[in-house]
Amino acid sequence: MLEIVKHGLETTVQELPGRIGFWEQGFPPSGPADAWSFRLANLLVGNSRDTAALEWQFIGPTLRFHRDGAIALTGAEAVAKLDDQPVPMWRTVHVTAGQTLSIAAAKTGARGYVAIAGGIATASVLGSRATFHMAGIGGTGAGALKAGDQMALGEAASSVKAWMVPASARPPISTPTSGTYDSRIAAMLGPNDAWLDDRSVMMFFDSEWTVSTHSNRTGLRLSGPEFGFSPQAYAKPAEHGSEPSNILDHGYPVGGISIAGQTPIVFIHDSPSAGGFIVPFTVPRFELWRLGQARPHAKLRFRRITMDDANEGRRRLDKLCTAQSLVEADTTDTVDA
Amino acid sequence: MADVDVKSPIPGTFYRSPAPGEPPFVTEGQVVTADTVIGSIELMKQFNEVVAGVDGTLTSFIVADAEAVDSDAVLAIVSLN
Repeated sequence: MLEIVKHGLETTVQELPGRIGFWEQGFPPSGPADAWSFRLANLLVGNSRDTAALEWQFIGPTLRFHRDGAIALTGAEAVAKLDDQPVPMWRTVHVTAGQTLSIAAAKTGARGYVAIAGGIATASVLGSRATFHMAGIGGTGAGALKAGDQMALGEAASSVKAWMVPASARPPISTPTSGTYDSRIAAMLGPNDAWLDDRSVMMFFDSEWTVSTHSNRTGLRLSGPEFGFSPQAYAKPAEHGSEPSNILDHGYPVGGISIAGQTPIVFIHDSPSAGGFIVPFTVPRFELWRLGQARPHAKLRFRRITMDDANEGRRRLDKLCTAQSLVEADTTDTVDA
Repeated sequence: MADVDVKSPIPGTFYRSPAPGEPPFVTEGQVVTADTVIGSIELMKQFNEVVAGVDGTLTSFIVADAEAVDSDAVLAIVSLN
């Protein structure tokens, strides 16, 4: 049993691959906003990497454990304590029944993960335990967790070694995406890049974009320079809508960067499945974690890649999110019981 | 009198009043208790109230209304009575 003592800011149960197969009925995939950190947390406690675990946002929760076992903290950097002892992140930590874990506010990044050996055993809804907060689907069935909630845990592996994730296998969360070219967020052209003028396509990749405080797990709202549109955006049937950025309602890809009037909105895990704005660019799946870890007021830059690059990036990240990335921890300097 | 910083726990946009056009939660020079709401920070389309955290007199705001803040930013100063 896992008990929520303080719920933090919209802490949810998440699971991979998320709620797949109901997109056409309006159910987003949900799942962790930073799947890289999420998977490493699960591997550190001996779970399969896609097992249900907690995601917290900006302010961490306080949790009480009612059985002995392994836990691991990954994602956004935060001070965490087990009772009164500091807890390292990116390592296997052993807890005993009755102990309390408290996680403070995120110092870098936006979302942190707590994996527990055995995983969280809330009910699957439409094939997943992942929480879609706005509709109260998944998790405990009431959206984000609340103080006093209790959740059953799954069966843990009989013994869990003490592992750690070396820095080389962790997502570089504290590296600003406005820094080096490689730390920029990858984006592909399409599906509606032809609706922008050529200058604006170049401008998008040459400009800095600021993350608004109106951003959440639905999407990231950005501010920056103005877009210009191609003749196609004006010479269209009236049913597409009156603004050049309007298009006849179409399906949105996860990672799609829509233009609402002049405001780019990047759709992430809890996004609407369809709408009437053009989507000139799309962030591929392997880069979504960068969006999940972006803080309000952060400056984002994008780099243009092809679908082949995106597939290569996905394969590379997939290899990093395996047990081969873990190394045995030197247990003499951990806080293990 | 000792001064205590009231800090933002989260990044976001700081507001001094509950809604545009409404009077501020507190004004400079006002006596506050630890539970007094001194402002609100918008993050993820939600408003998160900030409390003074200590009993005293709120002597000054460091951050203006509708200004961007990061976590740990000093929002206001409270002088202990």
